[in-house]
Amino acid sequence: MLELEPKVRVAIAKSRADYTEIRLEREQRTQVLFQRDRLENIEASTEVGGLVRCLVDGGWGIAVFNSLSGLEKKVEEAYRIARAVSAKIGERSSLAPLEPVEDEVRVRLGKDFRGIPLAKKKELVERYNKIMLSKPKVVSTTTRYTDSFKEWLFANSEGTLIFEERPDITLLLAATAREDDNIQRAFESIGEARGFELVEGLEGKAEEVANRAVALLSAKPVKGGQYTVILDQDLAGVFIHEAFGHLCEADFTYKNERMRELLQPGREFGVKELNVIEDGYLPGLRGNYRYDDEGVPRRRMYLIKNGVLQGLMHSRETAAKLGALPTGNARAISYRFEPIVRMRNTYIDKGSHTFEEMIRGIDHGIYAKSAFGGQTEFEQFTFSAAYAYEIEHGELGAMLRDVVLTGNVFQILRDIDMIGNDLQIKGGAGGCGKGGQMPLPVTDGAPHMRVQNVTIGGRA
Amino acid sequence: MLEKLRGKVEGAELYEIRGWETPVRFHAGELESAKSVEYAGRALRVVKGGRLGYSTTTDLKDPESLIESALASAQFGDPAPFRFAAKVEPPKVECFDPEVERVEIGRLITMGEEIIDRIRSYNPDLHIEVSLSRGAEEFLLQTTEGQELQERATGFALSVMAQRTAEGDILVIYDEAASRALKGIDHLQRADSLIERLRWCERLAKVETKAMPVLFTPRGAVVLLLPLIVGLSGKSVFFGISPLAGKLGEVAFDPRLTLTDDGTIPFAPRSSRFDDEGVPTSKKILIDRGKVHQFLYDLKTAGLAKTESTGNGFKVGFLGGRDFKTPPDVAPATWTVSPGRKGFTEMIADLKEGLIVDQVIGLGQGNIASGEFSNNVAIGFYVRNGEVLGRVKNTMIAGNSYELLKGELIELGRELEWAYGLLRAPAILVDGVGVTSQ
Repeated sequence: MLELEPKVRVAIAKSRADYTEIRLEREQRTQVLFQRDRLENIEASTEVGGLVRCLVDGGWGIAVFNSLSGLEKKVEEAYRIARAVSAKIGERSSLAPLEPVEDEVRVRLGKDFRGIPLAKKKELVERYNKIMLSKPKVVSTTTRYTDSFKEWLFANSEGTLIFEERPDITLLLAATAREDDNIQRAFESIGEARGFELVEGLEGKAEEVANRAVALLSAKPVKGGQYTVILDQDLAGVFIHEAFGHLCEADFTYKNERMRELLQPGREFGVKELNVIEDGYLPGLRGNYRYDDEGVPRRRMYLIKNGVLQGLMHSRETAAKLGALPTGNARAISYRFEPIVRMRNTYIDKGSHTFEEMIRGIDHGIYAKSAFGGQTEFEQFTFSAAYAYEIEHGELGAMLRDVVLTGNVFQILRDIDMIGNDLQIKGGAGGCGKGGQMPLPVTDGAPHMRVQNVTIGGRA
Repeated sequence: MLEKLRGKVEGAELYEIRGWETPVRFHAGELESAKSVEYAGRALRVVKGGRLGYSTTTDLKDPESLIESALASAQFGDPAPFRFAAKVEPPKVECFDPEVERVEIGRLITMGEEIIDRIRSYNPDLHIEVSLSRGAEEFLLQTTEGQELQERATGFALSVMAQRTAEGDILVIYDEAASRALKGIDHLQRADSLIERLRWCERLAKVETKAMPVLFTPRGAVVLLLPLIVGLSGKSVFFGISPLAGKLGEVAFDPRLTLTDDGTIPFAPRSSRFDDEGVPTSKKILIDRGKVHQFLYDLKTAGLAKTESTGNGFKVGFLGGRDFKTPPDVAPATWTVSPGRKGFTEMIADLKEGLIVDQVIGLGQGNIASGEFSNNVAIGFYVRNGEVLGRVKNTMIAGNSYELLKGELIELGRELEWAYGLLRAPAILVDGVGVTSQ
């Protein structure tokens, strides 16, 4: 990829646009996928592509391509599109200033997965798969390993030129147990920007997943209603990402005055103990790149400090409009897309309470664990627990299933009444979706957290 | 390319795609960007020593590396339980509209402006986002079994989002449409349909926590039908995770329910002459008046289950669109639920008490295999004595699709509408849905 540097410089130098950027990617990836006793897929593939973005008189033109020959023509194409757009727009886009930077970021992986033979990857995945399949009542499994190594080259007309290596490795362990029409699924997934060591030695996890799928067969469907809920670290992490994180992405706000009024820095959003951090630098985690897809260096920032909103996540464009600093949150899932404001590593900082303190005072509540997924529409959101337990008179009771929590974010952050001292940040194998871009590698985390008056859906 | 593999493998299948598209985006009611995308990709499946290998690339100039990677993965692959597609002439399916190719970006921009103007004439305060895109693709598929196919297809898509923001109440409403023909989408009609739903959102209504009838609009019906995509897949059946496994020919649904899968509907966004394995597409009845009639198969699953492919081997990506990178897998073409007799307005008029559900949050995030759903009602309305009283908030619906579509079906609507480019469904009214409200 780096060998294309001279051509990239020439293409940018010849551009007639006010601002021009070129982003090129080369990805090598492998996948091993078992379903039940079948090896559904084993592959090694490559993908190469690029994107040119031009700003002309405040209008954006973008060209995307797979063939890297003819960069100059692509710049010209993006320029022409931008010019046509600029003739039609009202408000003109601009970019917040940024110091030009030249950098080369190489990663050092523990066990570089590019050097591990496919045979060894298959052997590992097959072993985990067999562990899960060997449990009675487990009728099917999905065990999926993926790795990806991206070489990323970014340059713009302000003199920035960055080469960065971006590794990613994930493992999904899922088991389906069945008794007649009762079909239950349990899973664990991990994903980080690390070497092959991340996915080794997880036999115990595979065992756990299979046991949980079987246990869920005798779990009770939850009854709908309002509950006091303890969220485990995983679920509380998804909660803060879904319910609050997305709201702080400035592209939802920068051209929407009413949203801006709701999201004024200084506004009290939650309890005093609540601190929410968005961090671009947690070594080894999936959101951990040194630069975002506009070449802005990563930053660590508070979204909420002592319950008070501090600021929003920005791209250069949203920062320019709102008079803020770019935060390094402009990300794209690949060369096929322009960067939009996204999270990286988002977490609730640790508080002071122990799990025992949280559970002690609950007469009738729910302990919800591990996340199936979550979705937000600004104010309303849902997130699904993979499994849960009843809490009766301060003690854990029967296992529950189909627990989906919902609420209004402006309300629920005030209903948090205890934040645990056991912060855990963990990346999964999935990713975040926004604006047609999915899955973007992100990480989230939190300590255990207790919330009052959470609405949980359920059969009547 | 297959020539290079002759003598080295027992079988091979080459899939190639080249395409372009030009999306335009409006943000906050104004044009923001336009984009020109050109893409190309190749996927190769081989069978060597009885084992299946797979690889993909975007580099069309380097066939050698692709062959090498596919052969390398075949060393470890599972035995291939099938042969690649043999020479069969696929049906004629209308997938290419030259008008989509000809329409100028300027025209797309005008359409976007017209949509925004129309919605603003209803309420100038709304925050509006619109995307329009048009493009064309050329597929090529060759197998060592003699299948050799080429197809050109066009695509035209539109999505609209309107947001109304007030302290303590943020409303987000969507509309979308997709077609392979330019005339397949009436962009102003999409705007009008969005405005109609916005009118119902003007008032808020409070609903009680209890079981009650829910009238799913065609868009909302995806809540009930999503579990069936898993349940009617021959793969879920073979793997034993479908509640419908072993129920072929049995009544598992209300006798008024008939569902077809059809890959040949002219200009439908998921229509094509052949699937991504070179098997001709067709129309199949999946549920015949309540009876489980047919499951969907690709070549591999059909081989395992000792049956025939139904032409449903598609390369489906993360968000449901075609993606050359993923290996073919069982996926629906277009699903049509046969309509009932009553019109939507009449269904509402006859409803004593219930919810209309149009848009939900958290779709598919639960135990879909068993048919369970539990969703926040993003766009839904409370109805009493035949009158729409207003939009509900902080409300969840929960139930089990299989149970609801068997024992609780009250009525199917008369009007069929497209939803998500996948479904043509009527409104579906079922009883006994768990409603939880704060």
